[in-house]
Amino acid sequence: MAQDYTPVPAAKENMGQPIARYEALQKVTGAKIYADDLPVPGRPAYAWMVTSGIAKGRITSIDDSAALAVPGVQMVMTHENRPPLGDAKTFSSGGLAITELAPLAGPEVHHDGQPVALIVADTFEAAREASFKLKIAYTEDTPTATFGSPGATQKNLKEVNPSFEPIRFNDAGAALAGSAHTIDSEYYTPIQHHNAIELFSTTAYWDGPRLVLHEPSQFVWGLKNAAAEQLQTDSETVRIKSPFVGGAFGSKAAMTHRTALAAMASKQLGRPVKLVAMRDQGFTHSGHRQETRQRVRLGCDASGKLTGYDHTQWEFTARTTPYSNGGLEKTAAMYDFKAVKSDNYVVQGDRNVPTFMRSPAEVPTVYALEAAMNELAAEAGIDPVEFRKMNDTRVDPVKGVPYTSRSLNQCLDAAAERFGWSRRNPQPRSMRQGEWLIGWGCSMAMYPTQMSPSTARVTLKRNGTASIEVAAHDVGTGCYTIAAQAAGERLGIDPTRISVQMGDSRLPPGPVSGGSISTASVTSAVANACDRLNERLGLPADATADQRRAAIAAMSMPELDATGSWFPAELDQKAVDALYEGGVRIVGGSTDKRAMYAFGAEMVEVRINERTREVRVPRIVGAFAAGHIMNPRTAHSQYLGGLIWGIGSALHESTEIDHKRARYTNDNIAEYLIPVNADIGEVDIIMVPEVDDEINVLGVKGIGELANVGTPAAITDAIWHATGIRIRDLPVRIEKLL
Amino acid sequence: MADRSPSFDQVSRRGLIKGGVAGAAVTSVQAKAQVRGGAENTAAEPTVQRVPITLDINGQHRELTVDTRSTLLDVLRHDLELTGSKKGCDHGQCGACTVHLDGTRTLSCLTLAVQAEGKAVTTIEGLGSPDNLHPMQRAFVDNDAFQCGYCTPGQIMSGVACITEGHAGSDAEIREYMSGNLCRCAAYPNIVAAVKQARGEMEG
Repeated sequence: MAQDYTPVPAAKENMGQPIARYEALQKVTGAKIYADDLPVPGRPAYAWMVTSGIAKGRITSIDDSAALAVPGVQMVMTHENRPPLGDAKTFSSGGLAITELAPLAGPEVHHDGQPVALIVADTFEAAREASFKLKIAYTEDTPTATFGSPGATQKNLKEVNPSFEPIRFNDAGAALAGSAHTIDSEYYTPIQHHNAIELFSTTAYWDGPRLVLHEPSQFVWGLKNAAAEQLQTDSETVRIKSPFVGGAFGSKAAMTHRTALAAMASKQLGRPVKLVAMRDQGFTHSGHRQETRQRVRLGCDASGKLTGYDHTQWEFTARTTPYSNGGLEKTAAMYDFKAVKSDNYVVQGDRNVPTFMRSPAEVPTVYALEAAMNELAAEAGIDPVEFRKMNDTRVDPVKGVPYTSRSLNQCLDAAAERFGWSRRNPQPRSMRQGEWLIGWGCSMAMYPTQMSPSTARVTLKRNGTASIEVAAHDVGTGCYTIAAQAAGERLGIDPTRISVQMGDSRLPPGPVSGGSISTASVTSAVANACDRLNERLGLPADATADQRRAAIAAMSMPELDATGSWFPAELDQKAVDALYEGGVRIVGGSTDKRAMYAFGAEMVEVRINERTREVRVPRIVGAFAAGHIMNPRTAHSQYLGGLIWGIGSALHESTEIDHKRARYTNDNIAEYLIPVNADIGEVDIIMVPEVDDEINVLGVKGIGELANVGTPAAITDAIWHATGIRIRDLPVRIEKLL
Repeated sequence: MADRSPSFDQVSRRGLIKGGVAGAAVTSVQAKAQVRGGAENTAAEPTVQRVPITLDINGQHRELTVDTRSTLLDVLRHDLELTGSKKGCDHGQCGACTVHLDGTRTLSCLTLAVQAEGKAVTTIEGLGSPDNLHPMQRAFVDNDAFQCGYCTPGQIMSGVACITEGHAGSDAEIREYMSGNLCRCAAYPNIVAAVKQARGEMEG
C-alpha cells in the first residue's frame, strides 16, 4: 500500500462531509442488527433444507422414517405433505419470486440443488443429522449443463421478453466493410456467485394471523407482498424485519423458496422456525450471474474515428424461468458510433434461475465492448486512452438523446495523470523486472443512473433533533448515513442528531435496493419531506441556521412530521402508489428524454511471472465522476470494493460446472475464489468533481455498481501488454497463459 | 492466490475423542454424500449425548450442558445469544466466526463446544463496548474498514491476534496474516490501515 493511502478522503467540490457510518459502533461491537440475530418470542426450532442431488429427473420415493426417528425432529415436509401455496410471480412479471417453480411443488426435479424437503427439529444439530437420514430415490434424466451441452435450446431474447428490441441503427455491416481497421472477436464470461458473507436466512413466527419474517432483504415491501401472495394471506398481516443486510450484491432482492418453507413450518409447529441455507446450498438457492458468450465486430476509419459496432450476446439461463440481463442498448450509447447492430439470445438448460449480480448486464457486455476497444486501438496503432477520448459523445447516438452530464474524458485524464500513463510504451513485452513481465491496461467504467419512486417520513422535534423512517435498505452502502445527511442539510440539523429507521416493512415504502438507485431515490424523498416541514414552519429555502433554530424551538407541538415522496421525471404519482403493492418501477440509462450515466476510467498494472505465469495486480487507479457525492467516506469504500470485485472478475471468480451432471463443483467459498487481503496491492481512487442539476433533487448518481465494470478489460489488456497473449475467456488463470 | 490458511489453532484430537463424537461426525459426512446421490443410507444410529462443560466467556464463568455435536459457534449463537460471531460458511473457509480461545484466534465453527471445556473464550462482545471500544474497534471505525459489517467481528478478532502474534510488522505481513478472513465488500486496504493504526496504540 502506498504510504499516502487515505481510507477516508476529505470532502472536495460538490461533496458532503465524510462522517462516520450511522451504525459504525454497532458493527464493530457485534450488535444484533442482522436478521438472523434478532430475538424471537420463545425458543425457535431449527430447519434444514434438503436439496436435490440430481439436476433433472423425478423423485420416485421418500422414506422419512429414519429421519423422523432422530431425537428432537419435529417434522419432515416434502411435496407429499406440504400445505397448499398460491402462485408467486417472478420479477419479470411484476412479482419478486426468483423462479416460477413453487417450493416443494411436486416430484419433478428441474435443477441441481432444488429444495426437495424441509426438516425441522428442536436443535440445529438434530435437523442436520436427520437430513443425512432422509432417503430419497430418483429416476435421473440427462441434464443440459451449459453452452454446447446436449439439449440446449436457443431463443431470441424477444421471444421471452417482448419489450426487448434488437438494435438496427444505420447499416453496421456496410460501415464495418468500409472501415480502415476492424476487429472481430468472441468473448466468454463465466458463472459467478455473489457469495455475500451473510448466509441466506429466514426466521418465521406467527402471532395469530400475523406473520413476522426476519430475512435479509433488498426489498422489504416487495418481499412482504410476494410472501403474502404465495402464502395466500393479506399483505397487511405480514411484516419483514431486516435492519441491516450482511452483503447482498443482488442475491437478496428476489424471494426464494425458503421464505414460504419457514413460514409454513412455523405455522404447523406453532413456534418460531429458523432456516439458514448453508453456503453450498446458497449456490443454487438465490441465483447467480449467468455465463455469456459475446461476439463483437468493431471498426474505425484511418484517423481512429469509430464507424460500425456489431455486438451479439448469448446468455445461459434456466428452462423454468428464462431470466436475462440484456444490456446492449447501454453499450450502444457509450461512444460516437455511426452504425450499430445488436442481437441477444438466451440459451436454456436444466439450471437454477440466474438473478441480478452487481452490475448485472454491464459486467459482461462492457467487458466485451472495452476489450474490443483496446484491441481495435492496438490494431489502429492509437493509444487506447486517446482512442476513447477522440470517440467521446455528448448524445446517445442510437436514441439521439443528450447526456445530462458525462465526464469520461475528465476521468481518463485524471487517471492517466495519477497512473503515469504517458510513460507507456505501446509495444507488448516491453517492460520487465527480473522474471516479472509488466503490462499496463485501461478501460472505461460506466453505470446507468437509475432511479425509482420513494416515500419517506421525517419527524422534527422541538428539542432540535429529527428522525427519518423509510423502508430502504443498507447492504453496506451507507444508506442510513446519507439519509441523515440529506435531511440534516435540508433542516439545518447536525446529521448525528438525526435518528434513522430502515429495513422494516412497517415503515413508509422505499425502493428496492438494487440498480444503484437508493441514494438518488431515497435522498430525493427525504428532501421532499424536509421541504414540506420547512414550508409548515414558514421557513424560506435560504433560511439561516438561526432562523431555523428559532422556528423549531417555537413549534407549538413537541413533534411535527411530514411524509414526502418523489418519482423520476419519466414517471408519475401512480408509480408511488404502486410502491405500496410492492411494485417496482425503475427508470434510468437512456430514456426518450435524456441519457443518464456515471462514468469512470481505470488503469492497471499487472505483473506476470515468466516461469510460473502467476498474475499479480500491484496497483490499480480508478477515477470516477458521479454527480454530487453525499459522503466521500462511504463513496470511497464502494469504489474500493468495486475495483477489487473487478480484479476478482478478471482473475479469480468462476463457478465450475460438471458438464455431465449439471451440478456446480466448487460450491464453497474456498474453491470459489474471491480476492483475499493478500491479493490486493495499491488501490488509488480519484473522485472527479461533476455537477448534474438535471438528474434528480440532489444531483446524485448511483455508484455501487460503477467501479467493477470494465476492470476485466483493463486487466486483460495489461496481460496482453505484458505477454503479447490476448485472453478472451474470463477469468484469466495460470493455465490460460501457459 | 494467497495462502488461505494462516496458522489457526489446531483442532485438539484428544478433545475430539474425549467428547466421544469423532465417529458420528465422520459417518454423517459420508452419509450426506450418499443421500445426495440417492443411494442407500448407512448412517449410524442417532446418538444424542449432552455433556456438562464449564467455560469462561468474556470474563464470566458459565456452566453449560451441550450437545456433543454442537460447534462452539452454534453454542455461542443459539444457546448464549452471543450473535456477534458470525456463520459465513461453517467450514473454516471465511473467518467470520473467529474468536479467541485462551488468547489464540480460533475458528469457532471448526471447534466443537466440548473442546472449549475449561478455556477462556473471548468474542467480539467481550472485546469492547460502544462506550469503551478496544483500539482495534476504534481503528475499524476511523478507517471505514467495513461496509456491510458481517465479516467485521471476525476481522477485528483476527486483527487483534495478528498484532499479538507479532505478524503486523509490515503491510505485506498484515495482508498475509489477515487473509484467512474474507471480506466480500472488499474493504481490504482499509482493514490493513486499521490494523496499522491499532498496532500503534496496542504496542505504544
